[in-house]
Amino acid sequence: MIHLYPKKEFDLPLIAECINPDVFQNETCEKIEQLKIWEGNSQKKLGELFKVEENQTASQPEKTAITIYGDMSKVRKIGACMQNGEIMIQGNVGMHLGEEMKGGKITVHGDAGGWAGSMMKGGVIEIHGNASDYLGAPYRGSSEGMRGGKIIIHGNVGSETGAHIQNGMIKIYGSAGQFAGFRMRKGIIYVQNDCGGRAGACMTEGTIIVGGLLESVLPTFSIEGVRKKAKIEEDEVVESPFYLFLGDLTESGKGRLYVAKEKNPHLRIYERLL
Amino acid sequence: MPVVKAVTCPVCGSLCDDIELTIEDKEIVKVKNGCAMCESKFLNYNGKHRIRKPLIRKDGKLVKATLKEAVRKTAEILAEANYPILYGWSSTSCEATRVGLELAEEVGGVIDNTAVVCHGPSLLSVQEIGISSCTLGQIRHRADLVIYWGSDPWSAHPRHIERYTTFSEGRFERSEWRGYVAKIKASIGRKKIESVLRRLFLKKKPTVPSSYLEGRVCPTISREGRKLIVIDVRRTKSAEMADYFIQVEPNKDYELLQAFRALIRDQELDVDKVAGVPVEYLEEVSDAMVGCNFGALFFGVGLTMSRGKLRNIDAALSLVRDLNTRTKFIIMPMRGHFNVAGANTVSTWQTGYPYAVDFSLGYPRYNPGETSVVDVLMRKESDAALIVASDPVANFPRKAAEHLVENPLVVVDPHMNATAHMADVVLPSAFVGIEASGTAYRMDHVPLPLKRVAEPPRGVLPDEEILRRILSEVRKIKRKKQVAAEAQ
Repeated sequence: MIHLYPKKEFDLPLIAECINPDVFQNETCEKIEQLKIWEGNSQKKLGELFKVEENQTASQPEKTAITIYGDMSKVRKIGACMQNGEIMIQGNVGMHLGEEMKGGKITVHGDAGGWAGSMMKGGVIEIHGNASDYLGAPYRGSSEGMRGGKIIIHGNVGSETGAHIQNGMIKIYGSAGQFAGFRMRKGIIYVQNDCGGRAGACMTEGTIIVGGLLESVLPTFSIEGVRKKAKIEEDEVVESPFYLFLGDLTESGKGRLYVAKEKNPHLRIYERLL
Repeated sequence: MPVVKAVTCPVCGSLCDDIELTIEDKEIVKVKNGCAMCESKFLNYNGKHRIRKPLIRKDGKLVKATLKEAVRKTAEILAEANYPILYGWSSTSCEATRVGLELAEEVGGVIDNTAVVCHGPSLLSVQEIGISSCTLGQIRHRADLVIYWGSDPWSAHPRHIERYTTFSEGRFERSEWRGYVAKIKASIGRKKIESVLRRLFLKKKPTVPSSYLEGRVCPTISREGRKLIVIDVRRTKSAEMADYFIQVEPNKDYELLQAFRALIRDQELDVDKVAGVPVEYLEEVSDAMVGCNFGALFFGVGLTMSRGKLRNIDAALSLVRDLNTRTKFIIMPMRGHFNVAGANTVSTWQTGYPYAVDFSLGYPRYNPGETSVVDVLMRKESDAALIVASDPVANFPRKAAEHLVENPLVVVDPHMNATAHMADVVLPSAFVGIEASGTAYRMDHVPLPLKRVAEPPRGVLPDEEILRRILSEVRKIKRKKQVAAEAQ
């Protein structure tokens, strides 16, 4: 198990694609310290910015596990493209966490910056704090969103969660900002609490479940009925009456938007159409 | 007195190129064909706020310095910085922007233009959806339906309607100017009669007309000729001229755009009102959109900077794409600064990206939100700044401006603006389009030449030349550093 401790408080943005279990696998501490990392516009060695420690335990995990202690909110691209192993961050973390990751697990005991789990294809990201905008969404200009894996957020998230998502699951146990599931093509987004407006804008397929207040439903969604429960996973079902909307009409979509009935009295006007 | 004809106006994105200037004793004394903003700039550019000498901050005060000293100091600041920002560029020439990009690459900084606070969201959406556009000449000659959404051309682009859209005399479409004058006259007459009747007989309070014509179908929407529709959150001066005005609830533009998209696809909506507008009126307007021969949708900052930002533009671009399955329709952003389109164009052909380009890793990277200047400043990441022809201290969020002035700051500007007052080095520059020639791009991406019609103050150079000197000095410092490193 590798432990990383930042040697100072970072002011400049750091690009640290090398903090990845696949890169650290079977490497000695000395070699890890020589890995290249960008701080602002200058290239540094990982050892100049982090104290690297290797902890040999009796129950050594088969794949490399990395634990980072400290504020990493300026450090970007941690675990980008990772396929195996585990990263645990005891503190906040910067943008592009687990970008294009294919496997393994990332756990954050703090908040995460924008584009966490961007374009991910597999694996699990669990964030015990809040996540910023564009969770699981692709980079600017791309329409190739998240294709698989699971993202679990125990706090709140910003806007455009799961934009262009093509498969996989995003579970948010707090609230979400506007445009959740924008241009969603497949997959599931579950928001346990409140959700900003425009959820599922331009979605064509997939499911969005909102357990709290949804500011407004877009006029381009049509009501399908009231359902007693909504299924998130095989073993996770939310038992509560939900309004089911289908949309988005502008994209001839068949996406399913479940909105908790009790928390959204302003949507009663749709009941006349049932 | 010499008269210079066909001068391009360096004020707004309309870039009117029919200005005539009368020069007397090397000074502009008369402006013909220009709007109020144009006249104001050409007649007052050389006022009391003009910087005439380079300034360097010493012991907390800005003191006069030589150009060489100021350039040297600027180069030192930029060469030593670990994450500098280079911002502005929209009120200068394409040639200066080109040198700026070279400088950004040399110092490994973030270069961004003012699109980041105006039409940046438009550019992001264009990259996702694509844009169906044309030149303003096409619109002038052919457009029979013009929509202004979230923009007030009467105030912000005063000659836009007269030169390019409804009130321009096109080859295939007549100007609606006479009709508008008749409408105004009739309106004044009606108001006078109503006022007299009210005072003499009825003693009633004036009734406030409803935005939606008190339930009646709008008579002008189905008439022949060029039609003008204005969609805004308030009844602007442009809205007064429109055949049809839709007052959208603030921050509900996205819903309205999506509703239009659904109606154009002949889909029924479950709701009666969208963004405060009855659906039957929207149906009427969507009929007009589908029924036109050549429609043009212009959108302004009211759409790009209200809630939804780039997704509003996403919906607007998609609406125009959908309309093109039924008729001919184009869309165009109403660009603000005279060369903001040029700054985007030059940045795109040099780096591949229109704004918010980060050279810190040695190659261009682009991800607005991460590499855009306002966000970099809000996260307190930059450690120096070069501002060219812009005033971010006056218009950035307070937290961003605070971080900007905390670090070494260099300003290249003709005026002593708020940012220059807070700067460590101030380099006076010549006004592009008045004292320096160059190229600028109009909002429809047509490049136009900017003329030099007056002499700059003695010793004051154009932005391009100042930036070249800074770049050369930065290269010298870097070479020295390299030699010293090799010697060790």
